[in-house]
Order: sequence, then C-alpha cells, then structure tokens
Amino acid sequence: MNPEQDMVRVGLSRFLAARYSLDSSRAAAKTDPGWQPEIWRAFAEELGILGATLPESAGGSGGRGTEAMVISEELGRALVIEPFIDTVIVAGGLLARAGGKAATAVLAQVAAGSAIVALAATDADSGDRWDGLSTTAVCDGDDWLISGSKIVVIAAPLATHLLITARAADHDALFLTEFDATAPPGGLTVHAYRTIDDRRAADLVFDDVRLPAEALLQADAAPSLARARDEGAAAVCSEAVGAMRRVLADTVEYTKHRQQFGQPIGSFQVLAHRMVDMYMELQQAVSAVYLAVLNLDEEPDVRARAVSAAKATVGRAARFIGQNAVQLHGGMGMTEELAIGHYFKRLTALQYEFGSTDYHRARYATLTRPHDTQE
Amino acid sequence: MDLSWSAQDLEFRAEVRAFLDENLTPELRRAGRLTTSVYADHEASMAWQAILHQRGWAAPAWPIEHGGCAWTLTQHYIFSRESTLAGAPELSPMGIRMVAHAIIAFGTPAQQDYFLPRILTGEVFFCQGYSEPEAGSDLAALSMAAVDDGEDLVCTGSKIWTTHAGQANWIFALVRTSRSARKQHGITFVLIDMTTPGIEIRPLVMTSGEQIQNQIFFDAVRVPKANVIGAIDDGWTVAKYLLEFERGGGAMAPALQVMAESIAESAQRQPGPSGGILLDDPVFAAKLADARIRAEVLEILEYRVLAVVAAGGNPGADSSMLKILSTELSQEITELAMAAAGPRGRVYQPHATLPGGPVASFTPPADDYVSGEAWQAVATLRYLNDRAGSIYAGSNEIQRNILAKATLGL
Repeated sequence: MNPEQDMVRVGLSRFLAARYSLDSSRAAAKTDPGWQPEIWRAFAEELGILGATLPESAGGSGGRGTEAMVISEELGRALVIEPFIDTVIVAGGLLARAGGKAATAVLAQVAAGSAIVALAATDADSGDRWDGLSTTAVCDGDDWLISGSKIVVIAAPLATHLLITARAADHDALFLTEFDATAPPGGLTVHAYRTIDDRRAADLVFDDVRLPAEALLQADAAPSLARARDEGAAAVCSEAVGAMRRVLADTVEYTKHRQQFGQPIGSFQVLAHRMVDMYMELQQAVSAVYLAVLNLDEEPDVRARAVSAAKATVGRAARFIGQNAVQLHGGMGMTEELAIGHYFKRLTALQYEFGSTDYHRARYATLTRPHDTQE
Repeated sequence: MDLSWSAQDLEFRAEVRAFLDENLTPELRRAGRLTTSVYADHEASMAWQAILHQRGWAAPAWPIEHGGCAWTLTQHYIFSRESTLAGAPELSPMGIRMVAHAIIAFGTPAQQDYFLPRILTGEVFFCQGYSEPEAGSDLAALSMAAVDDGEDLVCTGSKIWTTHAGQANWIFALVRTSRSARKQHGITFVLIDMTTPGIEIRPLVMTSGEQIQNQIFFDAVRVPKANVIGAIDDGWTVAKYLLEFERGGGAMAPALQVMAESIAESAQRQPGPSGGILLDDPVFAAKLADARIRAEVLEILEYRVLAVVAAGGNPGADSSMLKILSTELSQEITELAMAAAGPRGRVYQPHATLPGGPVASFTPPADDYVSGEAWQAVATLRYLNDRAGSIYAGSNEIQRNILAKATLGL
C-alpha cells in the first residue's frame, strides 16, 4: 500500500468511526428511503472515495484495484449498506469501459455523488449468472423495446440510472437509462424490497419498455460484463475481510469476558481452537484478496482464475467465521441487539454475490484443467 | 431389534394416515410448510392441538390415566413420522412434551389434576424459564432469587430465551432458594402464573426479525409454595429429568427427510450455477445426497435409541448424540435450501411465510408481491433461525463434553 492509499484508508476509517454507527445505519435501512443520502454526499465531497477508482476524464482520480480494495475493506468493517461496490466498482467500470459522452457524463455524476447507478443483470431464470440472457431488446424504428424479468437488482430503489443487460442481435448488449423507481417508464413494473442484509433492491419486469437508440451503450458487452463481475467479486472479498476482522475481534473480546463455569469461556480449549481456526481463515481470506487484486488487470482467464480462487476462499472463510461467531456468542449472537447478528447476515449474503462459493470452485476447476496435448 | 413393521403396525399407519388426511386442513398444512423455525404459527399450532385432543392423540406419550395412548414404541414413531410427512404443524413442546412430564413424575395429585387436563385443552400454555443472562450453558449457576415468606416464595431476577412468553399464561422456572458449595443444590422448580404482579416481558428481535424469544423480569413476584414441583432445593433433579425429554428420544429424522426431499423437488425447477437445472449440478447433487443419506441413517439411529427406551432403559448420553447429529444435519439442510433459493434467497419477505411470532420493523408491500415462490422466502429465515439448534438445550459443545465423559470415559 502506498502513502496515498493509506491516507484514504485512515481518512475513511476515521469518518466511519465518527459518523457511521450501526444503530443509525440499521434504523435508516428499516425506514424509508432505506439509506443515508447525506453519508453518500460526504463520501463524494469530504472523502472523494466515489471518484477514487473512476477515470480522470470523469473527474475521478484514476485509482485501480488497490484503491477499490482499501475502500471496500473499510466499508465492510463498518457494515456500510450504501451501494459503493454496485455503483462505483461494477457500474462505474462498465460505464468507463463503454466510454462515450453519455457514459462519461453519468460517471462524473457518480464521482460527484449525485448519481446512483444500479445494474440489472440477473434474469429471473438465469440463477445468479449474468450470461444466458432471456431479456431481449428489439429495434422498433429508432427505438429499442426491452422485455424480460430482472431480479434482485441491488440499489434499484435508490438509483438515478439503470444499466440493463439484454439480448440484442445475438449479443449481450448493455443499455443505460435514467431511472426513478417511484415513476418508472411505461411497461416497467418495479417491486422494491429490503434484502436480508439490509440493502434496498427490486425485481424489475420489462414489458416492451421503450428506450431511445442512444440508450444502447455497448452492442457486445459480454467481455466488459465478465470483467465487471470479477471486479465486483474482488471488491466483495475485500468488504468481507473488513467485516470478518470486526467479527473475529468481537468474538474474541466476548469470550474473554463471558463467564461460565467460573471462568471466561475463551479459556475452554475447544473454543480457543475454534477462534484460532477463524483467525487462520481470515488470514487466508486476506491473502486471497491480494491474489485477486494483483491479477485484475491481467488477461481474462488469468483474472478469472485468481478471482475465483479468492471468492471461493473468502466464501469459505465468511461461512466459517460467521457461523462460529454466532455459535460462540450463543443466543445473543442470533439477535439484532449485538453487532454480530447484523454482520452474520451480510457474511451470509455475500457468499452468494457475484457467483457463489460453489460456482467459483467449479469455474476454477474448468480454468485449471490441463491442456490436452494428444490429438 | 426388529426394524420391519408388523401387520398391526401397517394397520395403525393406515388409521393415522386417514385421520391426518381428513383433519389436516389446507390452512394447517400451509402453516406447517411455511414455518420458519422449530416453532409453528401459534394459532395454527393450537388449532391442531385441539383437533388432536378431540381424538385423544394430543399427548400420546403421557401415561394412559392422564390422557396418553396405549401405543407401542413403533406406533409412537409411526404417528410422529406420519404427522411430519403430512405437514402437520408442530405443537409447542413446552407444555405437553416437557413440563407435563415433570408434573406427572414429581407433581402432587392436586397439581396433576389442575394442570394436565388444562395443558391438553390449551387453556394453560407454558413457557420455560431456565436460562438467565449469566447462566446459559452453565445452567446450575442460575441466581433468580426465591425468598421464603410464609406460604409463598418471593421471586426476583431475570430469565432469558423464553419462547412465546407473550402467548404463555404460565411459566415453569428454576429459581434459587438457597446457596451451598454444590451449586446444583438449592435450586427449586416452580410454576408461576404469568398474570402475577411484578412480571415484565421484553421481546428480543432475532436476526430473522421475528419476536419469539423474550427476556422476562421478575420483581418480587409471589409464588405460592403449592406451585413447587418436587421438593424445595431439589429442583435440579426435576430439571435433569426434563432435559432428557428435551434432548433425546425424539424423531427428528423424518422432518429432515421431508425438508431434503422438498429441496430436491425445488431444485428441479431452479437454474444451476453453470446453466442447466440445479439438481443436475454435480456439486449440489452430491451435497444433497450426503444430507439425505445422513437423514436416512439418523432415522435408524434414532430408532435404535428409542428401542432402548422402550425396553425400559435410559438413553443416557446417546440423547446428546442425537441432539448433535440432528441439529447439525438440520443446519446443513437449511443451508442447502438457502443455496437452492438462488438470488431470491436474499430477499427479505417474511409476509410470504408463517413465522412463530410477530415480525419487527417490517411493512409488507401493498400488493403483497413475493419474489419467486414461498419456499424461497422461507429458506433464508429458516437458515437464520436454525443457527439456534446448536445453541439451545445445552450447546453442542456441552453435549460433546457429556459424550466424552459419559460414553468414552475421558
């Protein structure tokens, strides 16, 4: 980490400690609008983190994977629910690679904190994959007509813009449109809800939704989408590391103070060993994040292999650390009264985000098959 | 040990099936299917208890003179298994399956005459007051004070993890009547009327958002000594007796098999992680097969332990083994269901389920929209609630200690 990156980390960490309490963020999650817009503005105006990874042409500072890692980890440690990874890393990356006037203008708004972009990529019948799209876009004069069903579109209820994937002319195409969940365009039905990890999301049903010709951002967006998914996975791995650091620290602290049978429960060997295993899972997760970040700019197969190794490792760690942190906290770990319950839900949800642990293991297996040299 | 069923057993099974078929209304089956924890929707559960009571089957394990059934062990097993397979809602365990056994074994005739019929009708609904904030795994460290004052014990302190405290009109509790070198001594088992002045309930919001568990505060609550079960200072004997009912001799395997089977059905309709259907994904298929194998084997293991009980033996530490195996398998199965739910497993939609209590801080959508199918809404809430399995009724770490000591002699 260079001095600038360390400055970002320290500044963000101090900001979150002072201004982002678990109580206020959960209260915000459970009432409308479901997030804290003033925090998002401060991210842009006071900390400049919303532009940290965006290109300089859009008012960003052109940072790379390491910046994303540093920021995501701090956000994870404070269990931030605002959509940094979804809007800045995933949507921001897609917009930057698409280029062009419209995309650059939206990117500038993202960096300034005035735009929230949500990516509608998961089709109702595609599991958690982004390819194999059943949503379609067809030409109608100068316009596009979009039809299909997108599920669990994270941040859609707060979004000012949507990125939509749809099958058009035998390619996975990417569309950009302005959006207001409370006033959707004709043919678009929005079903908004909260997720178990306190994010806002929505199912979107497109029935011949009319978009202008210029809404098409990229006709063949598959390579860019694959990269966005890998960058999202890597950032979520960093976020998980931040969350796991906090969860492990809380668990160790709790077992040092909780007395049963006349001694702190942390002194029982079975629990001490469990926490040592949690610590070793965490250290492997930290290393796995480095592996991913070091390879994000490599060729697609190299990048994918490293990201899958990281997501599989972090998914395993998040499961082990989350489940055992609850177990070691006992009944209290299952309530909303301690931090652990909230962190557990996030550590559960992120195991399935941007490809599940099993998906990434399978992709790793495919990518590491020995080449068949026999004819 | 004979594991096959006789002609009489098969006849009994047909009788049970016919009864379930006739009496399990679609609403009751729905309550069973949409349950998010080990606790069914309270109203559905009580409605089912009333139907069972009418038939004389609400408390089959009780002695016949108190309203139990003259069934063989196999018949008990068949009844429990068929009820589960048919999707009957679970009855609350606190009254019929727990405190009633203490009253039967240790209660006075007057206590038996008052409580047992009322537990059967549901007029008396019990919750359990064992754990305290500072006495969980180390239950014998409990400190809720019960001071002798003539005809009464005056109780002051706090109990936690009391399921359905808000619905209950009675609580069975362990209180501290005296202190001595041996902490198990000086504990008394009492029944407390929840309408007695000085009782305050604080609901606890669980990670699922459900409010089923509570903390109860007792401030100088007067409990007549006539409500002591067993002898004053000797409540630990009663509690230990009951803990064996809570832990062992159960039949968890059929419910686990039903859950695993329904995952297989759902996974036929779900997309897999790499295209195709989920059930064809080799990793998922292997995990599900492993869970189903464990459930089938657990059923035989449970039956073996029940056979010991039927022969008049004590299951002893084997009940700890069953508790560990069934709760950990259940956690695996609920996790598989959540994985099968896919991205929709992340949507928080308790309105599509029937939880065992009220849900905090949630307003259902105006149009009652559900993302996907109801089982997808149930799956994640069950996963969250099921983490309790390895914590309650003596954590699985404590159960392993018991097995190490009692069974292996370590």
